Amino acid sequence: MSFKVIKSGFLVSVQDYGRFNHAKYGMSRCGVMDEHAYSWANYLLDNAFDDSVLEISLGAVELEAQFDVLIVVTGADLDFKINQKPAIMWHSVQVHKGDILSWGTLKSGVRAYLAVKNGFDTKMLFGSKSVNLREHIGTKISQGDTLDCAESFETSKRLMPIQYVPNYNKDITLRLLPSYQFNEFSISQRDLFFNQTYQITNASDRTGCRLQGAPIAFKQTKMISEGMSYGSVEIATDGLPIILLKDAPTIGGYPKIGTVFSLDLAKLAQKQPNAQLRFELINVNEAQEERVVFNQFFNIKF
Amino acid sequence: MHKIILAGEHSLLIYFGHKIDPNLPKNIANFAQQLITKFPNLIIDLTPSYTSLLVSYNLNLSTHQQFANQLEQCLNTFKYKSDYASSALLSMPVYYGFETGLDLERLLTEKQLDLNAFIDIHSSVEYLVYAIGFSPVFAFLGEVDSRIRTPRLATPRIKIPAGSVGIAQSQTAIYPTDSSGGWNIIGRTPIDLSLNNPSNIDKFKTGDRVKFHPISKDEYIKRGGKL
Repeated sequence: MSFKVIKSGFLVSVQDYGRFNHAKYGMSRCGVMDEHAYSWANYLLDNAFDDSVLEISLGAVELEAQFDVLIVVTGADLDFKINQKPAIMWHSVQVHKGDILSWGTLKSGVRAYLAVKNGFDTKMLFGSKSVNLREHIGTKISQGDTLDCAESFETSKRLMPIQYVPNYNKDITLRLLPSYQFNEFSISQRDLFFNQTYQITNASDRTGCRLQGAPIAFKQTKMISEGMSYGSVEIATDGLPIILLKDAPTIGGYPKIGTVFSLDLAKLAQKQPNAQLRFELINVNEAQEERVVFNQFFNIKF
Repeated sequence: MHKIILAGEHSLLIYFGHKIDPNLPKNIANFAQQLITKFPNLIIDLTPSYTSLLVSYNLNLSTHQQFANQLEQCLNTFKYKSDYASSALLSMPVYYGFETGLDLERLLTEKQLDLNAFIDIHSSVEYLVYAIGFSPVFAFLGEVDSRIRTPRLATPRIKIPAGSVGIAQSQTAIYPTDSSGGWNIIGRTPIDLSLNNPSNIDKFKTGDRVKFHPISKDEYIKRGGKL
């Protein structure tokens, strides 16, 4: 039972909730870039919170179903169609043998998720199905490949209430935890950081989001490499921030001004180069409370 | 002595010192092991580095304040040890030749050493694994003898072949897979360190020791090495 890849797009990979307990081996966290859209996709299929999905960036993808399968597509609007006809997102859809699923060009957002009932049947790689090409874990999806999963049929329709469908065109403000070297940046440099509007550059990917803006100064020149958490914001030698994302290396030696709250990183995952963003502070108690509510709703175990 | 700081909504960073110290890696590894034993359901990831340990925990089950207090208690009763001669020692064969050591010729001129002297300096030291990172199975080893220390290349190479042995100041390392990088390349091991062999995942552990063992071109090729 499988999908046949007719067009493999710009960047398509199998991802799940991520690779945990492997940072000590130098392995990145990995996993989906937009945890919000991903969690909804699995939720609408009654899947496990960590089932694997296909992360489709920017479109140009075509798949042929070689069996009957229940799917949900969430995330970016990449002009999702079934057999050339516009198809519904954030909603369970029964796909039949011979149907062609396609994602054309980007209308809003960047990353779409294709979830199938019980996830994709790809190989477990060091505790996760997430592919990381930088680390040579898993392989690139190419034309002619097959993507295996189990046959499934609709029992009852499930959809996301329309008022919850996110608007990816809205400006975002990333909430930042005052972590790592936050207190070692001078007050004037922190003011400069929080009072400016940054722009996302082209050199952004699953490893990190690089920002353009007025540079921040940091007096300490040499740091000892230390573990970097998901969302931590490095200030590189040129004074510009890099937000470390799912495929970032596990350790690094640049000072970090803070850590972006995970649910705001989900919003960031749908932003294109040139989009503007700002930062504001959040304290750890607020961030934890909000994340626990999210975890409870989607039955996320950790 | 130690210090705990916030690292993220579900992570804390523990500093065990503020200077690179050969006694720290094994102590940090031991402390990490202790945490796994003590909090098997709470710990979701651990990232040791030179002087620190990043601890990620399940925020469904604890809060920042609660977990920081628990860590503080563990640290207060943790017994540091200073003799680690008993840690594992790995021997890695290396062919130090001009075909594999892309920067070797330049370094010999810069350091005014002949090839044998250079090989002897690099391969006579027992290096300590200070950290794993940059990519999987990439072990940061120290310390390199001051006679052969060299800063990273001004412009990193796009492609360094798998198995290449490099130097960056006081550190040396083996690139486990083809990758980009700015270290000075002095030789190559024929041993496959890639994750094509999944047991390579914990080939190097922080606190272990590594010694390089020079091999001839013939032996390098016999053991599967490529030129």
